[in-house]
Amino acid sequence: MEKFVVVALNSLLTAGLYATMSYGLAVIYGVMRIINLAHAGLMMLAAYATWALNDRFGLDPFLSIVIVAPAFFLLGMGLYATVIRWLPRSSAGPSMQSLLLLFGVWLVLQNLAYAIWGGDTQSILTPYTMESIPIFGGRFGVPQILVFVVSILSLVGLNLVLRRTYLGKAIRAVTQNRDAAMLSGVNAGQIAAVAFGIGTAFAAMGGSMLSALYAFTPDFGRSFLLKAFCIIVLGGMESFTGVAVGALVLAFIENFASAYTAIPVSYQDAISFTLLVVVLVAAPGGLPGLWRLLDRRVVAR
Amino acid sequence: MTGLLRRHPALLPGVLFAAFLLLAPLFAQRGMLNDLWNMAFFVVLATAWNLLGGFAGQVSLGYSAFVGIGAYTTVLLANAGWSPWLTLPIGAALAAAFSVVVGLPTFRLRGPYFTIATIGVGEAVRVIASGLEFTGGSSGLRMPAGTFDFNANYYAMVVLALLTLALVAWLQRHAFGLGLDAIRQDIDAAEALGVPSTRAKLQAHAISSALVAIAGGLFAVNFQFISPGSVFDFRLSLTIVLMPIVGGMGTMTGPVVGALLFSYLQIKLLASPVLRDSYLFIYGGLLIVVMLFEPKGIVGLWERLIALRPRRQAPPPVGEVRRAS
Repeated sequence: MEKFVVVALNSLLTAGLYATMSYGLAVIYGVMRIINLAHAGLMMLAAYATWALNDRFGLDPFLSIVIVAPAFFLLGMGLYATVIRWLPRSSAGPSMQSLLLLFGVWLVLQNLAYAIWGGDTQSILTPYTMESIPIFGGRFGVPQILVFVVSILSLVGLNLVLRRTYLGKAIRAVTQNRDAAMLSGVNAGQIAAVAFGIGTAFAAMGGSMLSALYAFTPDFGRSFLLKAFCIIVLGGMESFTGVAVGALVLAFIENFASAYTAIPVSYQDAISFTLLVVVLVAAPGGLPGLWRLLDRRVVAR
Repeated sequence: MTGLLRRHPALLPGVLFAAFLLLAPLFAQRGMLNDLWNMAFFVVLATAWNLLGGFAGQVSLGYSAFVGIGAYTTVLLANAGWSPWLTLPIGAALAAAFSVVVGLPTFRLRGPYFTIATIGVGEAVRVIASGLEFTGGSSGLRMPAGTFDFNANYYAMVVLALLTLALVAWLQRHAFGLGLDAIRQDIDAAEALGVPSTRAKLQAHAISSALVAIAGGLFAVNFQFISPGSVFDFRLSLTIVLMPIVGGMGTMTGPVVGALLFSYLQIKLLASPVLRDSYLFIYGGLLIVVMLFEPKGIVGLWERLIALRPRRQAPPPVGEVRRAS
């Protein structure tokens, strides 16, 4: 029982991080119907930016989010204005062209990082990196707990923006129905630019926090991109709550699989990659789709 | 003879180039032959991928799995006492079988979703292969001594490249290739016209993965050492995808141009210490440019240039009429 609680708490801590790094992918998909493969490259770049700030000025990785996230918001807007804007708009789902274009952006970012910082593994060491706090008989690392707190704060903040401000309402409107939103006077192009900025800022937040937990190279981010994609598919691709639920589900499956089954920890990534394929094939609507399916059966009976 | 040449404009340069490749060991230095081997290797990968990715429009980012299956089959069987040559068809068969296992679920997905799923499959294969005992883990495996004969391997790779080109060109001109083209343009319309789309995709996947696996086996013989990090690498998967896309997806010449450009850049850039790790930078930039301005890549750009030049009579290129979309 004690083990169960510890594993569950661990999953919850992981889920916070997963939700933050996935939300950027979801908002860009929702507003533009683009699968942002450059997300991985942006997370990696943010990790390096955090590392550079820590290395030069001794800035704490969690404090540096205050600088890194706004900077990446601007970077995302710039990326939108220079590259993404020129894509032909597709009404029926994401196009191959947009996927490959962002894949190109990812490659450029990744190899830029190789050129600037080289291929050596980097990591950030803070005074509390090795510290841990005992809770319910388990020990939880201080960085993990900080990551969870920052994730929850950012998600609550985002939720407030989405529910209370004009910008948030416009983003949700474009996500639900682009044409109807434009008919109501929403400037969809501007909203897309801002949404790309927000998505990039969330990628940066995810990257900064990942850099406090893991060592990284310019190749960093691919497995987290796949996990994030798995999460937004699980969550039904567009909703804010869906992302949170998807992140919880993936974190619980991963943690419980490695705690209670014979699957070795080194295969933990393979679990989420396989889950991604299974969900895409078996339940393309994600959990909301499954829920609707079950709901309809009950009503039909 | 002239009629044949007019119908197949690529035939004459193709035959000359093939003759050059086959006769090269008579006069060329070892270093140059090594470069040619490298080019032929990439031509096989790019052309085979193009069968599924270019003609049928199913962009897969998981092809390193097939290189890995071919390479590991060769190394493991050679260490069990087999002749390396006999291991190549086994590797091809295993890769084709695996391609069907992967294809059956993933071909239900369309467009970008299929691409993402193939990244998932490729990465899962890499993670699992790195953890397995018989792959040598992250330290890799060595070929048994005395299996290396550069000239034989050179000829094998060149012949494989030529056969791949001939096979794909032949397939493209027959009902199978037309079916794949129809799938790329509109899968529902293709189904309605009687193209068995899933079967055609599975067949194209199996053929191209078998060819890639044979190239993987020859890769193992040539380098005598493989590890999951070298043959199941994601960078290999994306190299395989980038060559045909930058060269020109869905054309015969595109993947060859892309492969030649890629191997040339790789050979040149690997020599410079600054760019050794970041040579894909150029390809990423090219990918962005291609996607924004000319989705048919270098070949499409070339065709546009040709079209710009005023001509008295410009007959439409024969092979291209039916692929107008």
